[in-house]
Amino acid sequence: MSAEIAEVQLQVRFITKQEQYAVPDSPYAIQSNVQSSDLNTLINALLKETNPSIEKTVEFDFLTCGELLCTSLAEHLQDKGVSTEDTLEIEYLERFPAPAPQDCLMHDDWVSTVHAHSNWILSGCYDNSIHIWSTKGQHKLAIPGHTSPVKAVSWVSFNGDQAVFASGSHDQSAMLWVWNVPRNSVDCVVTCRGHEKGVECLAVSADANRFATGSWDNNVCLWSTSLSDEDNVPAKKRSKPEHGNTREPLTTLKGHREAVSGVQWMDFNTVLSSGWDHLLKLWDCELGGIKQELAGNKAFFDVDWSPLNNSIITASADRHIRLYDPRSTDSIVKTTFTSHTGWVQSVRWSKTRDTLFLSAGYDGQVKLWETRRYMPFMYLISTLNSILMSNKANFFGKLPLGIYVVKTIPLILYKILFFFFDSFKL
Amino acid sequence: MPPFRSGLLKRKSGSKETKSSTTEKAPDQSDEGSGDEDLIPGELNGEDDATDSEHEDEGAATSDQEQDEVLFDDSADSTFGDDEQVDNESEASSELTDSEEESDDENEESGDENDDSSESVKSDEESVDSGAESAAAQTPSGVSDASDTEKKNPKQKSRKVKQSKAKSETTEASIDRLADTIRQTNVKTQPVEQKDEYESGDTSDEEDRRTTVGDVPMWWYNEYPHVGYDLDGRRLLRPPQRDHIDDFLKKCEDPDFWRTVRDPNTGQDVVLSKQDLELIRRLREGHVPDPTHDEYQPWIEWFSREVMATPLRAFPEHKRSFLPSRSEQQQIGRIVHALKMGWTKTRKQLAEERRKKREKKFYNLWGSTEADAAQRGLQRHIPAPRRALPGHAESYNPPPEYLLDKHEMKEWDKLSETPWKRKYTFLPTRHASLRAVPAYERFTRERFLRCLDLYLAPRAIKMRLTITANDLVPKLPSPRDLQPFPTTEVLQFKGHTGLVRSVDFDPSGQYIVSGGDDGTVRVWESSTGRCLRTLRVGEGEAGGEGVGVARVAWGPSEALALLGAAVGRRLLLLAPGAGVVPARVADRTDRLLEAAPPQHDVTVDARTASCAQWQHVAPHEWARGVRLALLHFKPVTHVSWHARGDYVCVTLAEGASRAVVVHQLSRRRSQLPFSRAKGLVQCALFHPTRPLIFVATQRVVRVYDLVKQELVRKLLTGAQWISNMAVHPGGDNLLVCSYDRKCIWFDLELSSKPYQTLRLHGGAVRSVAFHRRYPLFASAGDDTNIVVSHGMVYNDLLQNPLLVPLKQLRAGPRGAELCVLELRWHPAQPWLLAACADSTLRLYA
Repeated sequence: MSAEIAEVQLQVRFITKQEQYAVPDSPYAIQSNVQSSDLNTLINALLKETNPSIEKTVEFDFLTCGELLCTSLAEHLQDKGVSTEDTLEIEYLERFPAPAPQDCLMHDDWVSTVHAHSNWILSGCYDNSIHIWSTKGQHKLAIPGHTSPVKAVSWVSFNGDQAVFASGSHDQSAMLWVWNVPRNSVDCVVTCRGHEKGVECLAVSADANRFATGSWDNNVCLWSTSLSDEDNVPAKKRSKPEHGNTREPLTTLKGHREAVSGVQWMDFNTVLSSGWDHLLKLWDCELGGIKQELAGNKAFFDVDWSPLNNSIITASADRHIRLYDPRSTDSIVKTTFTSHTGWVQSVRWSKTRDTLFLSAGYDGQVKLWETRRYMPFMYLISTLNSILMSNKANFFGKLPLGIYVVKTIPLILYKILFFFFDSFKL
Repeated sequence: MPPFRSGLLKRKSGSKETKSSTTEKAPDQSDEGSGDEDLIPGELNGEDDATDSEHEDEGAATSDQEQDEVLFDDSADSTFGDDEQVDNESEASSELTDSEEESDDENEESGDENDDSSESVKSDEESVDSGAESAAAQTPSGVSDASDTEKKNPKQKSRKVKQSKAKSETTEASIDRLADTIRQTNVKTQPVEQKDEYESGDTSDEEDRRTTVGDVPMWWYNEYPHVGYDLDGRRLLRPPQRDHIDDFLKKCEDPDFWRTVRDPNTGQDVVLSKQDLELIRRLREGHVPDPTHDEYQPWIEWFSREVMATPLRAFPEHKRSFLPSRSEQQQIGRIVHALKMGWTKTRKQLAEERRKKREKKFYNLWGSTEADAAQRGLQRHIPAPRRALPGHAESYNPPPEYLLDKHEMKEWDKLSETPWKRKYTFLPTRHASLRAVPAYERFTRERFLRCLDLYLAPRAIKMRLTITANDLVPKLPSPRDLQPFPTTEVLQFKGHTGLVRSVDFDPSGQYIVSGGDDGTVRVWESSTGRCLRTLRVGEGEAGGEGVGVARVAWGPSEALALLGAAVGRRLLLLAPGAGVVPARVADRTDRLLEAAPPQHDVTVDARTASCAQWQHVAPHEWARGVRLALLHFKPVTHVSWHARGDYVCVTLAEGASRAVVVHQLSRRRSQLPFSRAKGLVQCALFHPTRPLIFVATQRVVRVYDLVKQELVRKLLTGAQWISNMAVHPGGDNLLVCSYDRKCIWFDLELSSKPYQTLRLHGGAVRSVAFHRRYPLFASAGDDTNIVVSHGMVYNDLLQNPLLVPLKQLRAGPRGAELCVLELRWHPAQPWLLAACADSTLRLYA
């Protein structure tokens, strides 16, 4: 069969959206059994002809029928059921460069969560502490404050020298902290008490006015991020000075029957939450009710939504990553991505590219995915040893785009590895 | 062929001859003037007359010879003769008038034709069927008088030829048509004939030849000399048949030949009168036959839409015309009914039926009926048993080892009295060649015996049932349809340094507690495998060596965060810690357990007191998490909580009658429910909803009612040594596992005998567990497999539980002949946790 395919000649036309790599728009006849590496050579040769200013070879990826070319062109076309008679349009784009390990942030215990904003990295640890790091790998602060493992941290806002961040812990509370950057001092401004069990996840809204927490008591709570507590705290609570400033939730969204494992803001009024009860719920914050429900068949461990492509990606208690459409009323999985060999614990969309996402699994691997194909784009980390486990993966918030990977290696090393893409152009 | 036809043919040939001349002289035609117009008919007639007269004599002569034979021949001749005269006269007289009359027609018919051609047309009209006859008649005359005519006037000749040509063209068709009309309307011709006869003045009766045979085909009389009977019953003799020569001669001499037709009824020749010809002409032209009829009368529209003052039909419509017809309705009803019932048949079907009916039916003489065939055993033929194939000994030239040697020969001879004991039924003999083989003298006899065998030996078809082992296995649903159930190992919880004896989930499934031989109780986070707390409980007792934790059990109450751990002889109730359980709950638990409740209503008898003591918890122990401690007189092997969390049931090893102790936490009171030992108690469990306690001894499970203090049931397991048991969350089913590799399912509603005994393991089964939500149960023991099964319990009392083994999961490696010591299901998810002998906990999902 493959031999039969190999004899076919194809008319192809190369197009690109990256102007600097444009080649003449004329059809070429190529053999159908070429791989993307062959195409790469061809494009580079063409580029050299047309544009002598490009000296070094550029690696390209090829997009055919809406999917990246992984196999030979003939097999790809056969999978897609595309005729080899017509002139084929192949879009090429510069290959997403492989990330390289940048630095290693050493912790004393398992790292449970990480969040980064411009130059600062926030990490939560199982030894009840929160750490602040710079992206240069410099440890700024270790903040004790919680009495149980910190399970979620997030930057809220940067206001000149003052940075605000929130943390949630298994001690049933979330805390709002103010970090004075030049003085490098941190202060717990508000303690948010309202959950009956440990806080599992935390998300700050886009306008940084509110944040949502999901907890083991099956509730999602919405909190204000305002640092002053006049209108938020009832009088009797204020009278207890030893608790510091405690705050009660603006809204408590009750509806999950099991623990809430992930929470995300979709817009200023909508919160997406995933639960161990196999449900994804979209909440209307003002009404405090459920807008929509998507049912899976496994417990969800993490959820993320991207405003770029308006898709929900989930990690659940199996090896698969599933893509949902929040607009669909019937819970149909649009795509399933399978490459991990253990439970997938965390998924994150890229903040800048609508087709990229990152996943971390119990098989000790963090994978970068391209939604236009079914195999992971690249493995970031191969398994170092069997007890290695990665449980959070995060894209860097803004430019420069990087990836933070939290690696927890019990008993040996506790560290964050993070990677930068060396020459990523947007 | 009728005689007038044959004449026609001749004329045709003649016309053909003349045609060539016509073509030659065609250019002259245009030159011809119209001045000769008057001459031609006269001349023609004159010629005709002449020829006719000439030939008439000959015709008379020939007819005279036949006179005696044919009765009416001369009369016919005479009539012809009369006709001639009449015709001649009439023609002569009416010539002018005719021409005048015809000129009108002619103008109508062919405006471009010249006047000279009008003659031919006229003659056509006159002679209808045989207009060309005259032309044909002319030809011989033309030939005979060729010299004079040609000399006289070449133009004349050309005209004649032209005439003949035109006539011949028209007559061919017209004659046929006329013959047909005459044949069809032969009745009409009769009066014509009569009329002619009367006109001729001949009134003899003989001439009125009317046949009385009626409307019968005239060919019936072909073989008779007569053609029918006249009015007086006399035979009408057939008129003499004329041959072609006669016809020809007659044609030549008879000027009326062209309008003479033969009456097929009488065989007589009939000369058509002028009126007849006119009638025929009108018929041919499609006019109304009656010449007096005015076709173009003014049309009066009698029945019009205008309402007349005096209507043509003044009577009113009948009532019938307004009512649906009843008879028609019935008729239609019959048709419709027949259609419904399928009685009406298409013409094709009817034709087929008729054809079938017409077919001849034969009796199948040689056929046999089914019954006969069955009787003779032909349908279910049983083949005759095959005879053994001949061996080497039967060969005509057997190998020497098959030939009998002397010794064998002697034996052969010795057995002559009892030949059936011989080695062979025949004597192997060697022949030099096939040719030398003699005739087999016993052939007939052996054939006969064989036939006798076949005839007498009863044969029967042997019915053989083929049942494979697979057919006996009951049909179970496919595991694919019974998802979800755990299929793979996803997490290992590492941290224990010895055997893990026991595990349990907290009520929400967030945490796991485990206890093992290393004397620690560990609390884990179930989703990540992180060990959150380690409580070292086994080492502190009296400063002695470490004691392993035999059993841990998380308290089911949400309001009271306690977990029970059996450490040696002590039962410790531990607080899992503020980080693990909500701080408020932890605080309340601590406050509750800090001080002992007043003991004034508790009266402890000596037997109970000697069995279990509520110990004071030392501060250092409190700091380590111990909230309550109970010291028993024997090591604790099993701990189980009551569903409400106030009672703990403890099983003591070798406790005899005091093996089962029930502790009440709120009142710090212990009870011994049993006064007599019924056996070696393995474990005791509370019923999830009702006040029942299940107590498993070595071979029997007893169910006691705690309120009524009586034995409810005794379940006979059939196992040698029960190891553990689990109660279905519904409470009506019990799963018991034993060291002799069995899992025994009891349906308490059904009977006290096992509902099903599952032998799924290759070693002792140490633990079984029911899932709280999913219809799943699992069993594991000393072999390395954990078996996950589907155990569906139906609400319907008539439906028995459905047990389907689903999956074998690999447990960890064996250590010290042990593999899996305890199994627990996640309270909400289909995840299974196993306490393994290799000091790990394994989570399967």
